[in-house]
Amino acid sequence: MSGIFEYNGGSIVGMKGKNCIAMACDRRFGQQMSTITTNYQKVFKIQDNILLALSGLNTDIHTFYALMEKEINLYNLKENRKMKPTTFANLVASALYERRFGPFFVTPIVAGLENGKPILATYDSIGCKSDLDDFQVGGTGGNYIYGACEAFFKPDMNPEELEEVIGQSLVSGCDRDALSGWGGVVYVLTEQKLTVKILKTKQT
Amino acid sequence: MIDFDPSSFGLAHTYQKEDKDEINTLALPSAPQVIYKTLNGPTQVNGGNKLNNFKHGTTTLGFVFKEGILLAVDSRASMGSFLSSEQVRKVIEINEYLLGTMAGGAADCQYWLAYLANHCRTYELKNGSKLSVAAASKFLQGILIGYRNSGLSMGCMIAGTDTTGQHLYYIDNDGMRLKGDIFSVGSGSTYAYGVLDNHYRYEMSLNEAVELGIRAIYHATHRDTASGGVVRVYHIHQNGWTKVHDGIDVVDLHYQFAQQKGLVGDGDEAKQRLF
Repeated sequence: MSGIFEYNGGSIVGMKGKNCIAMACDRRFGQQMSTITTNYQKVFKIQDNILLALSGLNTDIHTFYALMEKEINLYNLKENRKMKPTTFANLVASALYERRFGPFFVTPIVAGLENGKPILATYDSIGCKSDLDDFQVGGTGGNYIYGACEAFFKPDMNPEELEEVIGQSLVSGCDRDALSGWGGVVYVLTEQKLTVKILKTKQT
Repeated sequence: MIDFDPSSFGLAHTYQKEDKDEINTLALPSAPQVIYKTLNGPTQVNGGNKLNNFKHGTTTLGFVFKEGILLAVDSRASMGSFLSSEQVRKVIEINEYLLGTMAGGAADCQYWLAYLANHCRTYELKNGSKLSVAAASKFLQGILIGYRNSGLSMGCMIAGTDTTGQHLYYIDNDGMRLKGDIFSVGSGSTYAYGVLDNHYRYEMSLNEAVELGIRAIYHATHRDTASGGVVRVYHIHQNGWTKVHDGIDVVDLHYQFAQQKGLVGDGDEAKQRLF
């Protein structure tokens, strides 16, 4: 369990559906093998139609989120309009590359709805953007969640199905990872609303 | 580096380079090595270099009380941060009157406890009486001392009953053998000790002891990532041992205990911000 990305642990996953997107994260905040709290926030609402999920070193999760919150607030004030999800996705990539030689130890996932069309982008810790996939994972439990996603995912699901599938994938994946789990939250974003659901998971 | 006077150690001779033709009684080290011994890790020389040792990712506990001995263990096996199994059996049934708990290398524990079982049976046949717990644990200690420094990883408890009563011993791969009333071994042992030390009384009834063992393991599984799965509980009494619980899911225990306190148990009692 050495490695700066494994110090706090945690997993995130994002999925696209039909005119909707979903994000899910676990809630553990730990220090190596010890669990400190079980209610740490890892998914942030940047704007009404943009969600940012972060996994990795918790201090950088918080700092990077604060940086993005600042950027979007300044953008709103300067341009007097909302930021498009594709623009924000690019912003995240630039912000990460700005710290190319002293990076934030985070792996973000950005999800949003642009004119009803779902956007999902994922990055490595220095800003390589990848936005062509239907689902993406991040964090220490990522690889296990991939397996569950491949099994359960199908394209163009409606919000209820998507919520079910992403929740199951997160829970199954985190159950195999010692450093993730201790609760789960699922966020489903449609044109009309954002639904936030707390999952009842293993607390062990 | 601490300076000391060699003569104060009562040594007959100290090794000098030019003395290599003479017979030396003892070679003196240039600086004393500081050796840390912990109950749930290998002997670390000069402070060691890791705070957490994943070879002992587990929680096992045992304690002596008026009705005998209670053993409680978790059932998780992890390889680094990957959970390889949630259904491992960490109490090894050596024979009808001896039990061993497993912590550290599963292969090492399984093999040497089976070897011990063989030895106990041979003794019984040759001598017409059962091997005492003290002797069985001593035999195992002897084996482990022989394999010292060869990389065996075992932190096990031997508990059993013989003509003198029920006894609990802790044995580890360094060759340590301790007789005691309360032991907890593994990465989650610190959490288990907190609960155990708080409520332990020798005069507990069997039900109270089982409840305490379950609770202590549950608390360790909640906080320690390398412990989890199910709780298995064994009771050792004058007629041998009984399996009290074969596997209580700690997830169920979590929500049960939370409900008893009037909480939901989702870890979010403070209702933190969600987005």
